[in-house]
Amino acid sequence: MRRVSIRIIVTISGAVLLAACQQPGQTGAEASNVAVTNADIAKTATVAPPLTREAALKLMHDRHENYEKIGKAFTTASRALKSDTPDPAVLRTSAATIAGLAPQVSGWFPTGTGPDVGKTMARPEIWQKPEDFAAKTRNLLDAASAFDAAAKAGDMPAIEASFGALGKTCKACHDNYRNEHEK
Amino acid sequence: MTGRVWDLPTRLFHWSLVVLFGLGWWSAETGRDTVHFWSGYALLFALLFRLLWGFAGSSTARFSGFVRGPRAVLRYVRAGWREPLIGHSPLGALSVIAMLALLLAQVGLGLVATDEDGLEAGPLAMAVSMDASDRARELHELNFDLLRILIAVHIAAVLFYWLLLKKPLIPPMVTGRAVLDPDTPPMQPAPVRRALACAAIALAVTAWIVAGAPPIGG
Repeated sequence: MRRVSIRIIVTISGAVLLAACQQPGQTGAEASNVAVTNADIAKTATVAPPLTREAALKLMHDRHENYEKIGKAFTTASRALKSDTPDPAVLRTSAATIAGLAPQVSGWFPTGTGPDVGKTMARPEIWQKPEDFAAKTRNLLDAASAFDAAAKAGDMPAIEASFGALGKTCKACHDNYRNEHEK
Repeated sequence: MTGRVWDLPTRLFHWSLVVLFGLGWWSAETGRDTVHFWSGYALLFALLFRLLWGFAGSSTARFSGFVRGPRAVLRYVRAGWREPLIGHSPLGALSVIAMLALLLAQVGLGLVATDEDGLEAGPLAMAVSMDASDRARELHELNFDLLRILIAVHIAAVLFYWLLLKKPLIPPMVTGRAVLDPDTPPMQPAPVRRALACAAIALAVTAWIVAGAPPIGG
């Protein structure tokens, strides 16, 4: 019995020591993150009050649903383009869906809708690099508008080129700001 | 006295599974789509070859030589996990069949799957509906868990034979040779040209599938 309890004490103190060792290294990185977040809060606090937990979870749920819609429209367009006889109506509908949702994307990530609040594939980096993230949502908006215009005009070479460019803007953001699974 | 138990194609197949499964896993975790696709195609080739080799290969590689009924499996376990014959044991044969089936399912699901963004799709994704392609991705992930469980069981079994039954299985899978009883019939090797023929057929079928299986792939 006594030997076991000694072992537990040794293990716990070891863990405490390890934790203590790690902390100085982490505080540096966290401090800068906190600085960014605080600045954001200071900026947005004057504009809108912070979200309630329910409102945040609702927003995250809707965000997920809307991304699913974009993904489905994109896949539908991709399959249409791969077929021997692409259906212009399918391409127009898909492009309009994406172009309709793309302007909303920049509003889907207010402070307090990250993985610390609820299950999401969104990475904390979104709120740590707000300028880069905003630039990427603008790229999506531009590419979605271009694809929509090409689909409306029925110009196949322009449709293919703008569709490829649109896919790159999706990927550019997902590679940096989305996890493979919800965390 | 040592004798041959596994031919070179069977050993190459076994270790290529280890490498390709690891490569597929790593590339999926790190988002390396091109590597993931090509490790899947290589796996498809290896599996097609192994299926052909199961009919045309050396005695220990042939399905007819090692796939046995439940009674033989029970007898083998009751006799203390020992069998005077070389090659896959009756119980190990079940593991081989399960492994081949799950790996074929994994490759097949990957071929028709689309990623969740619609950015990447397997070469046969257009042969199925968009919903089926979506579901294939989910099953691809589920089957991956089943495969990892089966691989864990396989490794545990190898350790069990090695540490408790004092029968090391890894060296024979590397060298192709094992210590045999004098009265054990040795492996009957298949000619090299037959291995080359199987590889050529497997390669042709793989190339056809990777190209989208024209004209039936759509």
